[in-house]
Formats: sequence, C-alpha cells, structure tokens
Amino acid sequence: MMKQQAIVLEARDIGVEIEGNVILNGISFSVFEKEIVALIGPNGAGKTTFLKAVLGLIPYTGRISLFGGEKSFLPGEIGFVPQRFSIDRSFPITVREFLSLINKRKGDEEVLKELGVHRIYDRMMGSLSGGEMQRVLVAGVIASRPRLLLLDEAVSGIDAEGAKNFYEMIKMARDRYGMAVIMISHEINIVYNFADKVVCLNKDMVCFGNPASALTPGTIEKLYGGEASFEPRQPHHHYHGNDN
Amino acid sequence: METIIEILSYPFMQRAVIAAVVLGAVLAFIGIFVSLRRMSFFGDGIAHASLSGVAIGIIFGFSPLIVAVLVSAFFAVIIYLLEERTRISADAVIGIIFTAGMALGALLISLKSGYQPELISYLFGNILTITSSELIFVSAIALVIGTIVFFWRKKLLLLSLNEDLAKVSGINPGIYKLALYIFIAVATVLGIKILGIVLVSAVLIIPVSAAKLVSSSFRGLSIISVIISEIIMIGGIISSLVLNTPTGATIVLFGTILFGMMFSFYSVRGKR
Repeated sequence: MMKQQAIVLEARDIGVEIEGNVILNGISFSVFEKEIVALIGPNGAGKTTFLKAVLGLIPYTGRISLFGGEKSFLPGEIGFVPQRFSIDRSFPITVREFLSLINKRKGDEEVLKELGVHRIYDRMMGSLSGGEMQRVLVAGVIASRPRLLLLDEAVSGIDAEGAKNFYEMIKMARDRYGMAVIMISHEINIVYNFADKVVCLNKDMVCFGNPASALTPGTIEKLYGGEASFEPRQPHHHYHGNDN
Repeated sequence: METIIEILSYPFMQRAVIAAVVLGAVLAFIGIFVSLRRMSFFGDGIAHASLSGVAIGIIFGFSPLIVAVLVSAFFAVIIYLLEERTRISADAVIGIIFTAGMALGALLISLKSGYQPELISYLFGNILTITSSELIFVSAIALVIGTIVFFWRKKLLLLSLNEDLAKVSGINPGIYKLALYIFIAVATVLGIKILGIVLVSAVLIIPVSAAKLVSSSFRGLSIISVIISEIIMIGGIISSLVLNTPTGATIVLFGTILFGMMFSFYSVRGKR
C-alpha cells in the first residue's frame, strides 16, 4: 500500500468556461509527492485546459492549491513540457543556450549528462529531430528539479524508442527527486502500467483512482465512445480512440 | 579618400556617423526579437504611423522627432491592447494603425500651407540635418533601450520562443511583451531622421536576416547582427558621399546588396 505523501496539488470543483462553452466542470482531485497522475480523455475533453489552469494561464472557478499553500507558485517549482514543442528552425540558438533559458538551477550538469543531452550541447535547436528537441526540453525541465512536472502529450510525434526513453526519464526524475508528475496521455496501456493514478476527463470527471480499478471497459466506453478497445497489460498497445 | 576624410571632419557629418553607429547597434539587436517574433510589419507600420507625430510637431512648433517618438510609444500600447484584448488579428491591427497614422499625418500637414521640406526629410531621411540636441536625444534613448533589452535578453528570448514556458519560469508575459513593443516602436522611430519613415524598418530586418545565414548560436547572431548593421550604416554613408546620393536610400540599398551577396554565397555553398 502506497504511503501517504505530502500534498502537491489540490484541485477543488474546477470549472472553466470559454465564451459560453463549458470546457471543464466540477473537477476535484489531489496529487501527492512522488505520484504520477495521468489525465486521459478524448480530444476537447479539457485536459490541456486543466494544465493551463494549474499554471495560471487561463481563468477558472474553484480552487487550486499548490504545495499546501495558495495557488501561486515560485519560478522553478513547476516544470512544464508543452505539446509538440517547436521553434523557428532557422533561428540560431544552441542546445546549451536554450537550456540556460529554462534551467535556472546551477550544478545540474550531471543530470543533463545522464540524460544524454550533453552530447548535443553545441548543436542548433533547429537541427534536432522532434524526439531530440523534446528530450532536450524534458531534460532541461527535470534538471531544474521542479516539485511538480506537467507533461502535455509530451511524446506525441516521437517514435516508440523515443517514447520508451522518455518514460524512463520521467520515472528516474520521480524516483530520484521525489517530484510529482501530471501527464496527459492517449496511450491507455502506458497509463495502466506507468501511472499511480488516472483522472478520466470529458469536461466532467468520469473516473479517478488507481488505473487497475478505474480503467474498466465501461469507463473507457463512457469516455471515448463505442469505438474504443482496451486490453490491460498488453505491451505496446496504442489506443486509437475518437481523436478528431 | 582624402575627400571622404575631409567630409567626415565636418561636425554635421560626425553627428550623422555617431547617430548611425548608435542606432545601427541598437536596431540590429532589437531586430533579433523582431525577426524571431515575425514583427517586421509592426516596425514598418509604427514607422509609417509616426508621420502623424511628425505632422503634429511641424504644425504646433514642437520637435517633430520627439513628438513622433511619443506617438509611436502610444501606438505600440494601442496595438498591444487590441492584440491582447480583442479577436482582431495582429496584422489587421497594425494595418489599421499604419494607415490611420499616415492619413492623420497627411491631413494635418495639408492644414499648413506651402511646401514642407522638413516633412520630406522625415519621409525619406536626411542624416545630415541631425542637430546636436537631436543627436543627444537619439543616442540617450537608444542606449537606454539597448541596455535594458541586453539585460532582459534571456527573458525576451524565452518569451519569444514559447510564452507558456516563459510564464512557468516566472516571467510576466504581459509586462515584457508590452515593454518590447514600446522599445521596438521607439527605437524604430528614432531612426526616421537618418533613414526616413519609409525606409527605417530595413535596419531592423536586413542585419539579422544576413546574420542568420552565418550564425549557429544566439550569441553569434547578436554579435554578427550588430557588426553587419555597422558595416551597412558606415558603408552606406560613405557610398552616399562617393556617389552623391540620398543617405537613407543608399544605406538601405547597400544593406540589401550585402544581404543579396551573402545569401547567394551561402546558398551556392550549401548546395555543394
């Protein structure tokens, strides 16, 4: 049984409405230290919107308290990896220069070395593949040692090998630094095997809890509709729901 | 050569060269953020809209340059607010300010009878008419803006690369974006005396575009942009003296030819 850790994030009755459209309604759950929490749901379910609310990038109703205090956070306390991070490829900026922008903490060369980023320090960001660019970003964020790491479909566009490395990096960060992770994922089996908790969103909160108990065929169908199929514990199973 | 040295010994020419060197460095460095944020049209639009400030200065007897700078800062704030708080696209907002500012300038100038030589010098630039007080004003404001942008370069760079990452890093996007808009607007309009309302945005665009061809880091881009900008400014002024052509137009054409040569060279080299 998992030991109860310090609370990192507490969301209570979160609602977001944009131009009269309800994007999120009544979302309540908590995230504890060293927990990996997956957000799943179809496109338009409000997953990214929830992360933006946590980051204070959009207005919302309800209450989000971080690290046991009020909603505001200090620079470096939250790490964020956006979906499909890309930059103007013609713009000359090296990996080292980019890391100096996002990594405020000194003396974390070891982490970057361990994550294999030091080998490409002097390459231009624009010359990196999508997977390499995402790896640089994640390594930089992890090296900053945030207390909470937010990942918005961070493996989209990355091949299977890259995705495997990515999850290993996240697990290492969690185990070594005790950071909590909230990740958006479309890969149900990754969520099943990797996350401590899952939050199923479809504007409302459809399910919450341990993936083994929360991700029932009924829940999946309720979340994604009849097209969804899910076979627990099948490695490399990639969910294709009603993404449109 | 002796003639050029003799001409450069004149005080009006020395003022022109100092103004060109200071503005060349500041506009080239700010141009990096203009290029990264794809704001070339912003610089061009603000420069054109500043005609209204020039006209107000001429009609009411104030310094046209100072009024144009104040008006450009005002327009920058308006563009920022309309971009942030309405659904009007950025290029439409700039287009409206661009044309409205020009129209207001033309209308105001028409109220003053007779030929306005000062207006023509602001439209196309006349570096030789810079007074000592204008040189002090241009240099002081340009150096203040250049210094602030230099110390904020990392924040402005992250903000320009990804706004969400900047916010998470503790950067207030609103404040820094508004400041950058005002800095770009004011620095651009400081150059209208040298290059003219119509041509000034070239110094925001050409040096960084040329420097991108040869740079592989942000540090390199910054240094090379400034060096190329100074080559364009000094080379353009000397060329205009030798060829007896308008200084602003010669500077811009000198820069365009330099960019064209660099682009051709590196394109051919890249294909090998």
